[in-house]
Amino acid sequence: MSSERAHPNYVAIWVWLVVLMIAGVAASYLPLGKGAVIALIFAIAATKAVLVALNYMHLKFETGLIYAIAIIPIVLVLAMTLILFPDFVFRR
Amino acid sequence: MKTHAATQAISGITPGKIAVWWFLASEVMVFGGLIGSYILARLGSAGWSAEAAHLSAPMAAINTFVLLTSSMTMVMAFAAVEKGNDRGLRTFLLLTILLGVAFLGIKAYEYSSHIMAGFTPSTGPFWSFYYTMTGLHALHVLAGIIINLSLFVMARGRLVNGHRVELAGLYWHFVDVVWIFLFPLLYLT
Amino acid sequence: MTESAPGPAASAHATEVHHGEIGIWRTYIFSTDHKMIGRQYLFLGLFMALVGGFLAYVMRWQLAFPDTAVPGFGFVGPETYNVVVTMHGTTMVFFVAMPILLGAFGNFLIPLMIGARDMAFPRLNMLSFWTLAVGSLVLLSSFVVPGGAASAGWTGYPPLSARSIYTGVTWGLNLWLLAHAIEFASFLMGGVNFLTTAITMRAPGMTFFRLPLVIWQQLTAAILFLLSVGPLIAAAVMLLMDRIAGTSFFVPSGGGDPLLWQHLFWFFGHPEVYVVMLPAVGFVAEVLPVFSRKPLFGYRWIIYSTITAGILSFVVWAHHMFLSGMDPRLAMPFSLTTILISVPFAILVFAMIATLWGGSIQFATPMLYALGFVAMFIVGGLTGIFNGSAPANIQVHATYFVVGHFHYTLLSGIFFGGFAGIYFWFPKMFGRMMNERLGKIHFWLTVIFFNATFFPMHLVGLGGMMRRIANPLQYEFLQSLQPINVFITISAIGLALAQLVFLVNLGWSLVAGRKAERNPWQATTLEWATPSPPPHGNFDALPVVYRGPYEYSSPEASEDWLPQDRLLVARSG
Repeated sequence: MSSERAHPNYVAIWVWLVVLMIAGVAASYLPLGKGAVIALIFAIAATKAVLVALNYMHLKFETGLIYAIAIIPIVLVLAMTLILFPDFVFRR
Repeated sequence: MKTHAATQAISGITPGKIAVWWFLASEVMVFGGLIGSYILARLGSAGWSAEAAHLSAPMAAINTFVLLTSSMTMVMAFAAVEKGNDRGLRTFLLLTILLGVAFLGIKAYEYSSHIMAGFTPSTGPFWSFYYTMTGLHALHVLAGIIINLSLFVMARGRLVNGHRVELAGLYWHFVDVVWIFLFPLLYLT
Repeated sequence: MTESAPGPAASAHATEVHHGEIGIWRTYIFSTDHKMIGRQYLFLGLFMALVGGFLAYVMRWQLAFPDTAVPGFGFVGPETYNVVVTMHGTTMVFFVAMPILLGAFGNFLIPLMIGARDMAFPRLNMLSFWTLAVGSLVLLSSFVVPGGAASAGWTGYPPLSARSIYTGVTWGLNLWLLAHAIEFASFLMGGVNFLTTAITMRAPGMTFFRLPLVIWQQLTAAILFLLSVGPLIAAAVMLLMDRIAGTSFFVPSGGGDPLLWQHLFWFFGHPEVYVVMLPAVGFVAEVLPVFSRKPLFGYRWIIYSTITAGILSFVVWAHHMFLSGMDPRLAMPFSLTTILISVPFAILVFAMIATLWGGSIQFATPMLYALGFVAMFIVGGLTGIFNGSAPANIQVHATYFVVGHFHYTLLSGIFFGGFAGIYFWFPKMFGRMMNERLGKIHFWLTVIFFNATFFPMHLVGLGGMMRRIANPLQYEFLQSLQPINVFITISAIGLALAQLVFLVNLGWSLVAGRKAERNPWQATTLEWATPSPPPHGNFDALPVVYRGPYEYSSPEASEDWLPQDRLLVARSG
């Protein structure tokens, strides 16, 4: 399969990844509340992950089936973790 | 003995790609289970930030940079083989392998300096999670290096096609994505 | 009016591959042919069933006649009893049920039923079988290492399992974890193979909604396993660290939480029981139309119910944990989802019963087992409602009521569904017919002794008998129940002896059974269009599919069955 399909600019994506990484490190020094810092850092990490998935793993060009295979486990993990919050985080 | 052309298949997807994505789905559940457990345990306890402060965020940032770059070189290897550029394929594969080895090397240095400072897996819950999560991840990096090394060796004998590089790349990018989450979860919070 | 003619297949020339000269090793031992691999899984599973069954016998003898030596085994103390209980469960779930229902039948049937020549990855398939074989060896080896085999229950709850000092078992538990890891790897490989094959290698015309239900159930089971096993793998890694690296993920004295293990285990554990159940549902759904000569009722409803049950299975797990000390606020939501999951299964059962209505029933052995499945599964499902509701669960948790429930649900799958599958597809797998009279004797003995063994367990459970105790007579309040325990044990021995009828039938039929024709049951699915057994490559020419899999008594055909690949030609004039 050596098709000449258009692909993203891999170097440009890499630049963004590095920039976001630096932003994440910087965010940990920001004088915000703990919850806000964590949310920010997590959002940055998620953005990096999405960039890698869409561009390096070519998810952008894949069919709905592959998207489903990629997304469903993430949803499951999030659901499992959230369901367990009462038992571990919100202990009386 | 595959007869793709005649089969009622979903067009455009190769079996190899579906297989690797399903495998990655199961791996998401493994690391997700581990990371979810870490988040639950951490949010339900106190004092883990103090332990995490003993980690070296700068060194891990360098490691993150190493792994991100190796993802780029991996996908460049795929782009090269798609264009028929054998030399580019071997060069980028070699770079990916070396960057992966560098990652493991830095990790080994981190581990040894922690252990010499007295922080072992049994020191406390934060350290248990730290070693287990990064250790399992490192094993996956090692497996990826071995896969890429096999591709590199095969490429010298012109036995590699773009499809195999693409599939190996999917696995390598996944390992990168896991680290993208491990880094802030362990080092930045 | 139409006549039927052999369909023009995908290619005009025969493409059977000749593999006569590859030798015994590549044909029987290291085969990449999905049919041979399926047979290998079957025999491995049947062998491990002997091991698991023997352990059950030891358990039941000890319970009925405590502190007497078990004939053929010896004296059973409390620690030994824990080992027997643990290894019985582990063996049966992971090394008998899954290999037979998924490994054997999934491998054998999927390519045949979808019209493919083999799996998408034949060598990966061979690797998956041999990986399981190694895992089985590892598990068996744990019996002979110093300290003995694992004894912390098939559920391996910490802290008991986390520190060797609590059980006295060192190597055994580590090997137990290793055997699980190996077996998970094997089924992950298999699951990926099943899904990829079904997605990419269906014959022309075989759309998803023309697939036999066996395929739908195997695929759903594969997806459930792939998505649920991850957290348990994570937990197993943590447990191993607790055991060998001194961590305390699950040990309270070190700051850990035993409930974390339970949640992670049951997040997998519940979908896992459906991984075991669904293939059996598929076999029964396949057998009922054939022996009623009627289409399956509610094909799409069954598929939608299966998918719904599969999704719901991920959010019911804590019904195993109502008494664990978890947050009580979780009890109500999980009770709700558990009661809800009975709805798709009820739809399944109603569809099966409706399939029979008005049909021309033939009571061949596979059909007897399929009917037995429906009846036994209903009993198991009903007791599930009691177990799933938190207030009732308080009374029955960790009693024999639960043991009765899960044996009715699981064994309706493994025994009744599994035997339905074995008797039904034996001609295709081995090219010979099984003895019908022995089959019927086997069925009646099994169904009688099965109910005699497991129904009274509900009674002793309600009477207060706890699980996993080695000697009921130690407890005064249980002594009056002992006659029931003795009755159960005698029935269990009867059940075990009844399986001898099957083994004799199996052995005899393998060597001297009547040779089977292509389609002895006059069924419509694609595997029956091949010789019995099919050659390497399965089909002369790849079939083309024109209709769904359950066209029995169709007005379009003169016979009462219309194969999926038969092209109907309109008669001119």
